[in-house]
Amino acid sequence: MIEAHQLTKRYGDKLAVDHVDFTIAPGSVTGFLGPNGAGKSTTMRMIVGLDRPTSGTVTVNGKPYAQHRSPLGEVGALLDAKAVHSGRSARSHLRTMAATHGISGKRVDDVIDMTGLAGVAGKRVGGFSLGMGQRLGIASAMLGDPQTLILDEPVNGLDPEGVQWVRQLVRLLASEGRTVFLSSHLMSEMAQTADQLLVIGRGRIIAAGPVQEVIDSVIGATVRVRSPRLGELADLLAGDGVTLTPGDDGAIDLQGITPAQIGDTAAAHGIPLHELSSHKASLEEAYMNLTQDAVEYRSDVTAALLKGANR
Amino acid sequence: MTTLISPALEIPRPARSVVVARRTFAGVLRGEWIKLLSLRSTWWTLGSSVAVMTLIALASAQSLGAMADDVAAAGGLAQLHGATIVSGGAQIGVVAIAVLGALLITGEYSTGMIRSTLAAVPTRLPVLVAKAIALVALTTGITAVSLTLSYLVTRPMLSRHGLVPAFGDVQTWQVFGGTAFFLVAAALFALGVGTIVRSTAAAVTVALTVLLLLPGLLQLIRLDWVQTLVSYLPLPAAGSFLNLGDAASLGGSQLSPGAGLLVIAAYAVVPLVVGGLVLRRRDA
Repeated sequence: MIEAHQLTKRYGDKLAVDHVDFTIAPGSVTGFLGPNGAGKSTTMRMIVGLDRPTSGTVTVNGKPYAQHRSPLGEVGALLDAKAVHSGRSARSHLRTMAATHGISGKRVDDVIDMTGLAGVAGKRVGGFSLGMGQRLGIASAMLGDPQTLILDEPVNGLDPEGVQWVRQLVRLLASEGRTVFLSSHLMSEMAQTADQLLVIGRGRIIAAGPVQEVIDSVIGATVRVRSPRLGELADLLAGDGVTLTPGDDGAIDLQGITPAQIGDTAAAHGIPLHELSSHKASLEEAYMNLTQDAVEYRSDVTAALLKGANR
Repeated sequence: MTTLISPALEIPRPARSVVVARRTFAGVLRGEWIKLLSLRSTWWTLGSSVAVMTLIALASAQSLGAMADDVAAAGGLAQLHGATIVSGGAQIGVVAIAVLGALLITGEYSTGMIRSTLAAVPTRLPVLVAKAIALVALTTGITAVSLTLSYLVTRPMLSRHGLVPAFGDVQTWQVFGGTAFFLVAAALFALGVGTIVRSTAAAVTVALTVLLLLPGLLQLIRLDWVQTLVSYLPLPAAGSFLNLGDAASLGGSQLSPGAGLLVIAAYAVVPLVVGGLVLRRRDA
């Protein structure tokens, strides 16, 4: 259980995290979604006491992280794949972490096996790929068998097999009743992994709740209609709570009305339909809608490309 | 019977951890010790400091012959204590020791390891204390090894001039103990500075400038207050209880041995205390 209350972090005159409130419940995977620079990492760093909040509080299992007698037994954090001394071997790194909490050498071997690092555990971390670094980070997070896991961009740099493995791991950990809080800027990843979503943009929580609810709250289901007598049909369908958007190729998109209602209306007036398709908004679309005003670093790629072409 | 069991609706109980995990200071100390010994850079700096200290002792012992032949220097030879020859390499060995002390913390900042370290020990101060203790142990050990080796390799030359330091002589132990104290203080000074500045290059530069360069540079400024300042710099201050030949000739050494010990202790403690304060306050 992670609870933030009016959590705020200011760097100079920039508000990185702006009076944020949230509760992350045990037994489920909560996705922390937002564009780069939205405040995800800062929030996670404040949870484990690396950054001091400017104001507000955040607690883990009822207490500030630093007040726990066994921090690694409460929270396992993957905050930065390379939060490891590059001159040390993976096993030595895990042994130094384990030693602080009196965690046995057997547990070190266990997390090495669990994360598939057995073959490279004796090698220096400096030579690790990003994916291996991520596995080592997850291994250190698992050392104390914690109730709460905080994973910042855990699938970054992993190959497809590794991505699959992280998904299964976090699902398993949540099913055991643990709190799993993971961040990503990839919406598709969240759709497949998370139960709950916490969407952040420019340091503020934009949306929170079960994944599908968040999507539906942003974009309702859309129905696309195509007909030779479209104008006539549109007049008939227009009504309370129904929005019509002309499509680009002679179709119209309707929201606030079901395909059945449209089909019945068309049949009742003898209007032929050439297309009647229901379209559920994807997480990507919901995300773009949610965060389009909250993107910190936007690059106008098209403009740049055009400029280059005209030269 | 209407007992309804629906495991699907049961809220999963928090998994009870099978791993014993409790943070203790002894554990933090063990962690720091493993950290030190699991890095190649530690062994390189330790090896080079032993090599440098032994070789310099050997070289100065070999120059005794030349000194004895030189009529002008022969008088000085009689006043030399053999222990200062044996420990003579400490002035240069301090370079490697200071690098070791600085790297102990700046190596964590440059690689990002510090975030793992502070996440495991969020109260932070135990980390610095444990690093200091591990560093004191290692520096003391390495000084003992260096002095033993130096003693063994210089013994034939020293005996030729009747300068072999006697183990029953208090002065022998004052010089050997003083050398260890100076090197330990230098290591802690570098650790403290490293904690404050967080960068290897900056920490090593500051540490070596204060420890080695400043006395020689300020020596050229013949002002009374500058010369007083010089006597409070580490090397001249250490000269007050080490009686290291070169340090004495630097013009410092106006301090009494007791005052010298206190000044050296201050170099070890003050940066560490400041470092501890900023470590607690700063974002990692």
